[in-house]
Order: sequence, then structure tokens, then C-alpha cells
Amino acid sequence: MDSSVSHIKVMRSQLGRARGLGAGGSGTEHWWAERVSAATLLPLSAWFVIQIFRLKGASHDTVVKWGGKPVNATMLTALIITTFHHAGVGLQVIVDDYVHGKLHKPTRILVKAATALIGLLGVFSVIKLVISGVSRKS
Amino acid sequence: MVEFSLPRNSVVGKGKTYPAPAGAKNVKTFRVYRWSPDDDNNPVVDSYEIDLDHIGPMVLDAIIHIKNDVDPTLTFRRSCREGICGSCAMNIDGENTLACLKPIKDVKGDVRINPLPHMPIVKDLVSNLDAAYAQLRSIEPWMKSDSAPPPDSERRQSIEERAKLDGMWECILCFCCTTSCPSYWWNGDRYLGPSVLLAAYRWIIDSRDEHTGDRLDELEDTFKLYACRTIMNCTQACPKGLNPAKAIGQIKELQLERKG
Repeated sequence: MDSSVSHIKVMRSQLGRARGLGAGGSGTEHWWAERVSAATLLPLSAWFVIQIFRLKGASHDTVVKWGGKPVNATMLTALIITTFHHAGVGLQVIVDDYVHGKLHKPTRILVKAATALIGLLGVFSVIKLVISGVSRKS
Repeated sequence: MVEFSLPRNSVVGKGKTYPAPAGAKNVKTFRVYRWSPDDDNNPVVDSYEIDLDHIGPMVLDAIIHIKNDVDPTLTFRRSCREGICGSCAMNIDGENTLACLKPIKDVKGDVRINPLPHMPIVKDLVSNLDAAYAQLRSIEPWMKSDSAPPPDSERRQSIEERAKLDGMWECILCFCCTTSCPSYWWNGDRYLGPSVLLAAYRWIIDSRDEHTGDRLDELEDTFKLYACRTIMNCTQACPKGLNPAKAIGQIKELQLERKG
């Protein structure tokens, strides 16, 4: 049959389309991760804002020393990981809503890669703070 | 990608104006969406100037008056005219509701009437709801029980068990909620929509149903259930005052409960 002739392209029954490929078997984890990370970010962000106010006008050395302390470094790392994990799962939802068709999968991969890499950059910056704090002491 | 503008053959034009009869004192203009599959014309909005002194108080009264006395070509669904059949669901003054339950005096200025959004149009104010009906069928909205019923009576429920169905059984499947949901507009081919999820929850919490787990399995999906973004348009739109968003939230909580 000549497919260039104008014709109805989908004749599958509505029930067949509604059932589609069936339930994917996941979704709860993603939804829960969004909520838990959002709730975790509340105290972490509050801590960060307070610390930044306390460091207002501090010298470079003071800030490096502050960042190198185990508690501060732990909190910073937790903040960065949670932020970019939350950004990743949240952006995925936006991509699911707005990007359809062939672009959907590449966009999702892009979001995942970008949030993971920027998050890693943050984590390694904290590691660098810790190491330079140690080297300054000696 | 998301479409930001209407396709060229969907751009709505200006239609005819039907003036009020001479001597009318209490005139209100009804701006009604018109489209027919019988010609190749784009949709238009016709203006009907109606004398409110001679019709009933509801928007549906005005529409019936238009069809009977002004313009018999206007097409719409209606049956019970008292909010129990769900046929006259349409978008009035920017909100999905039942024309028979919407008082004309609640609308300031012209009354804008459109079909339920984002569904294929059959004609004028009649949306095609086949896809939504099929989605309802896909969740199998009937009792599934392996235990035999008592031979001499119906399956019994306690007062508490029966009370759980309140706020659920009142749904008349008008799909005002589903067609008001942006998530359904974006992913209606995979997301079940608030109306169908309310129906699903109604069977999930029915104490007589024995397939609760299977029902939850069928909804464990990033789109079918979790495309709900808690936008809450559904609850705001419901002309029966029900809360589909709450039912969806409770399904999510049950999904979580059985994992933990």
C-alpha cells in the first residue's frame, strides 16, 4: 500500500492504547527521593546561609580553614550531594513533562550527566579545601 | 517538544453575532466556541446576546434557549440538567464545570463557553472522551474478589469500611478534573488523569475487593500515577466538590507503605 496517501495512522483500540506497554514497575522511589531530598535540603541550606553570614568579610585563609574542618566539610558535601541529586530528579520530571518524542531520552541523559558532573565538581572543591587546610597547617 | 502555539487549522476566528430581541432589558452576551467537522473552516466564537429575564438561572438554561430559540445548529451534550449525569461538562468562564450547576450570575462580563480542553472535538461543545473512558476501563473499576459471597446475602462492610468510600462514589465521571490537568495535557497518552485515579483509589480502599496489590502494581509507573505533579487543578475544578488530588496522594502513600 502507498503510505504517502493520506490515511488514518493509528487504528489501535482506545483500550489497547490506554493499557499501552503496561505499568513500568517503578516510580515510587523517584517520587520519594524528590520529597526526602527536598526535606533534607531545608536544614542543610539553613545551616549554609547562617555560616555564610558568619563568614561575612572573613579573609581567604579563614574561609579555607573553616571549610577544612571535618564537620563543615561533611555538611558542605552533604549539601552539595543533596542539592544536585534533588536537581537531577526534579529536572527529570520537567523533561518528562515538556520534552516528547526522540529528544526525550538524550535530554534525560544530558540532565543526569550535567547534574552529576557539577555535583562532583562541588565535592572535589570541598576535598581541595580540606587538603589545602591540612597543607597550610604543616 | 511542547507546542506553544495552535496549529494553523485550529486558530479560533470571530464568528457571527446574534443580537438580543428588541426590548430586552437584562442582556448578557454568551461567547460560544463553534466548530464543525463537515466543512474545512477553522473554529470560530459566536456571540449570542440573551435576555436573562426569559430563561432559567444556570448557564445550561441559556445554552438550551440558544438551541431552541436562536440557533438550532449549536451542538452540546446534556441530559439530567441537575448535576448527576455529567454530560454538560464544559469550560465556562475559563473553568471546567457542569453548565447545569453554574449560575449565570456568577460570571462577570461575557460568558465564555468552550468545550473541555485538550480533547479532540466532535462538534462545537462536544469533546471526544473515548480515550478517558478507555483509561477508566483499563483500571478495571469493578469488584474483584476470590472469596465467594455469602449465599444468602450481599458482601458486608462495617460502617467504618463503608465510610472510606465517601468522597469517591459521588464521582459522576464528567472529566472536568482530568481535562483541567496540565499534566494530563502534556502526557495524557500515559498519565491516567485525576478522574481515573480517583476511581482506582475507590477500588483500592474498598474492603470487599481482594485485588488491592494487583491494583497498586498496575499503577506503579512513572507516568500512569506519578505524572501527577500535585498541581491541584483537579480538586479546584470538580463540580461535585470532590478531592481527586487527595486520592492520588493516598495511592502514593500506599505504594510507599508496601515498600518500606
